[in-house]
Amino acid sequence: MSRALKSFEYFEPRTVEEVVRILFMYWGEAKVLAGGVDLVPKMRKRQIQPKCLVSIQRIPGIDYIEGDGAKGLRIGALTNLRSIELSPAIQKDYELLHEAIHQIASIQVKNMGTAVGNLCVGTPASDIALPLLVLGAKLRIVGLTQERNVPIERFFIGVGQTVLQPSEIVTEVLLPSPPAATGGAFSKLVRTATDVAKVNVAVTVTVTDGICQDVKIALGSVAPTPIRANKAEEALKGKKLDQETIAEAAETAAEETKPIDDIRSTAEYRKEVTKVLVRRAIEKASKRAKA
Amino acid sequence: MEKQIAKFIVNGRSYEIPIEPRMTLVEVLRDELDLTGTKYSCGVGECGSCTVLIDGKPTLSCCTLAITSKEKSILTIEGLAQGITLHPIQQAFIDYGAIQCGFCTPGMILTSKALLDENANPTREEVKEALAGNLCRCTGYVKIVDAVLAAAEAMRKGGK
Repeated sequence: MSRALKSFEYFEPRTVEEVVRILFMYWGEAKVLAGGVDLVPKMRKRQIQPKCLVSIQRIPGIDYIEGDGAKGLRIGALTNLRSIELSPAIQKDYELLHEAIHQIASIQVKNMGTAVGNLCVGTPASDIALPLLVLGAKLRIVGLTQERNVPIERFFIGVGQTVLQPSEIVTEVLLPSPPAATGGAFSKLVRTATDVAKVNVAVTVTVTDGICQDVKIALGSVAPTPIRANKAEEALKGKKLDQETIAEAAETAAEETKPIDDIRSTAEYRKEVTKVLVRRAIEKASKRAKA
Repeated sequence: MEKQIAKFIVNGRSYEIPIEPRMTLVEVLRDELDLTGTKYSCGVGECGSCTVLIDGKPTLSCCTLAITSKEKSILTIEGLAQGITLHPIQQAFIDYGAIQCGFCTPGMILTSKALLDENANPTREEVKEALAGNLCRCTGYVKIVDAVLAAAEAMRKGGK
């Protein structure tokens, strides 16, 4: 593969306002550079050839993890995956987010890549999007004239597509406090440790006296965007979490997917595996809810 | 785009080099500074051959625009030995036969150094986890993991 990248104009602004102004000027022809682990390979492969790159790496004050499970937690746009993985607050109160990042094998990718950058790529296979979906995260989006908070389930609109306008950036992830008596779990199936998931799953379950009070199931790599398995969730609410109920819900979740055949798996296989991963994730999450 | 002069601190030495924003760090290290110990392989962040330490953290130099690492502390494989005395990790890779073709070795050793700087006494499993982003296509990983564990022991006993 040719080594050199094509030329582009390059900016290193010091504030978010400047980033947004440059993005506005280049309307759709500029890309934001955070960690570069997705962007640089795509530029090298000529999959994208932006006229301009806007690095956010030298903006002070956007690399942070603030708060905890009691108050809610905020993650900055420049916070890398490794910092999130190692954060004691995340390990304690948002266990499944830790679990998802821990399963991303390459330390180098985790040192460079940011959570916000991962979301903005808009891949249906995102290991970060799924925990955030079931945790009820919102994204803070800043544009030229307005700011808005968008729930993550409304952020993704297609493969590689999000609701971000050409002059907007995501400045932080906002995580609410997890509800009481709630457990979470993340799991995925991959070809090799460092590969993109064939199927990935995140679940949170709220359990009291063995009854499922609330449940959220997010599925990745089985539709054009990360999705929630709404029917499976409804089928579980108010039920006793026994083996049969969980297995039925896992079947329903698999029916809600619209996977494709590609180099990693066939659609048929993805549906089968969704069942298994959902079942195991619900079992694990409900055990954690009781603990 | 026009070239601009950027300052790089590589292996403790300071260099001022004219660069373009499109140049990646691996190109600057190999082609501008002749530090060819850093290997270019997949070019897309999958193999770990191009790993260098930036401010102590394992980083893929093929996916890093050089301009973003200006004025940061960069360590390449050339910066590990003290004169003719090899670093204990380098010595252990030789002693344990953890090198065959050698192409993955600089990345393996630098990633191992970052691990041992953080965790002086890792378990075998922790070594394997730390090296998951570095691929070897010659032999396998058993001797590499053996070497890192041996280096950790040597370093705990006082070899730096």
